[in-house]
Amino acid sequence: MRKRIYGIETEYGMLIKNTDFKMSPVDVAARIKNHIFSRDLGVLDLHYRANDEPPGNGGFLKNGGRIYLDMGHLEYASPECSNLVDLITFDRAGDMLIQDALQALGYDQDVAIIKNNVDLETNATFGCHENYLVSRSFPFENREKLKILASFLSTRQIFCGAGRIGACNPHPFRDWDGYTQDDEETAGVNFQISQRADHIPNETYRWVQYNRAIVNTRDEPLSDPSKYRRIHLLVGDSNMSEYSTALKMGTTALMMEMIEMGVDKNEWILDNTVDSMRSISRDPEFKWEILLANGRPTTAMELQWDILTTAKKHLTDFNQETNWILDVWESVLTDLAKGPEAVLGRVDWASKLWMITEFMKAENLDWKDPWIKSQDLEFHNLNKEDGLFWGLEETGDAFRKTSDEAVNHAKTHPPRGTRADGRGELVKSLMNSQAAYLIDWIGFRLNKDEPFLMLDPFVSYKAEIKEYLKGMNPEERADEEHFLR
Amino acid sequence: MEMNDPVRREEKKDSSPDRKEAGPSGPDTSRPGKDSILKRMKKVDPKQSEKYKQRTGQ
Repeated sequence: MRKRIYGIETEYGMLIKNTDFKMSPVDVAARIKNHIFSRDLGVLDLHYRANDEPPGNGGFLKNGGRIYLDMGHLEYASPECSNLVDLITFDRAGDMLIQDALQALGYDQDVAIIKNNVDLETNATFGCHENYLVSRSFPFENREKLKILASFLSTRQIFCGAGRIGACNPHPFRDWDGYTQDDEETAGVNFQISQRADHIPNETYRWVQYNRAIVNTRDEPLSDPSKYRRIHLLVGDSNMSEYSTALKMGTTALMMEMIEMGVDKNEWILDNTVDSMRSISRDPEFKWEILLANGRPTTAMELQWDILTTAKKHLTDFNQETNWILDVWESVLTDLAKGPEAVLGRVDWASKLWMITEFMKAENLDWKDPWIKSQDLEFHNLNKEDGLFWGLEETGDAFRKTSDEAVNHAKTHPPRGTRADGRGELVKSLMNSQAAYLIDWIGFRLNKDEPFLMLDPFVSYKAEIKEYLKGMNPEERADEEHFLR
Repeated sequence: MEMNDPVRREEKKDSSPDRKEAGPSGPDTSRPGKDSILKRMKKVDPKQSEKYKQRTGQ
């Protein structure tokens, strides 16, 4: 497999547990963001990035990623990572930076950070966006190819869904309009394997808010547009299991690789990817039956096996990471057939379903009991003392691909092998400087007229940035007003 | 620390090729570690889902 760049953007939910607590979730999000930047973990933006992103709304971190406020949510964008182990390490480093700040502020008894994608009461949804850098020659304008990618994404939820209680049929333009808890169709759904399946009404579209699509078609490469395209997906769930995150993004990268190689098959195209995604997610018997565009009935499991078989044929021994992905893809598909316990700690929806089923038995509850919805939320609580997922890591049942030591290191150090390394160097230098700055993913500008461009995400630019910074006097206080005009 | 090679603890179970099965049937109830999970679950506020007031994002 050729070189890739991976990235994840996570929007976090904020649960105010104590009804006497005086702050709103939006207030807490702002205080967490301010705390992080007041502790020398990054530098706040001095400029407007957009109308709704004024100066101070967010900033870049020493690890090369970003923390910011977006539509009332605290959001972390990982730095660009060149391999899956870095990706899951830096994804979790973002989780822990935010949880650490919550605890340092003394709010952790009153507030919980919830890494999920849906408010089970109001139907509000928020995302976990995946980013994959592909070559500009990726056949993105070919409708058939996008349908193949969408068919893969519609069925991969069987191993990377995070699971949820209940269902909803949201309005495509405003999720919260026209939604009722008593909808006849949704009332019969006790549990489904995906958090986002109900919120994706289109196969392809460019919007990221309302009318979301399985394949987002926005063309914003954040790199040299003549060489690269960034495929930005918002269809996936936030995963608690790092193993599941690695499997989700690894298999998707292999799917993209097969499309670029031209070894993908038109026979993988589903008759209706949107309807299939929803029916797979809601299937109480986990048969996951689907209809292919060629009229042949099959199952999501069989389709994934077929895609995996082709991937093994063409990609085996490309590199160590590719072999790991192929190995665990096969292992998870094999074990899924044995029941949720067989993939406990590897597949989030299965871990959640097992826990909730056991709890219902122990407490003699049914699916409609409000305590069950509350357990669903608690699965995603980032507080390791309370959150249900962490119970699996505590007992050794959660498979890991990184370590707590690596995660701690990644809070303040960038990954190697991408331009995030150079960006981290820049942010570290700006900590001790009075310089005015403007930083973006594709470069930066300091007290000089010419911007420093970082158009190739595979280049660290670290040595060049160190050299560039030598010309800067850190004591010189820049005229920010003039600089940002 | 070399970030491309962190300390890992990866576990892998043997798998058997019973791919013709459509999907999971039902959870096994005999798993060790269940008690500690149930202990965590017992502490969860039954009403906390109603307190989770989120805005729609992206």
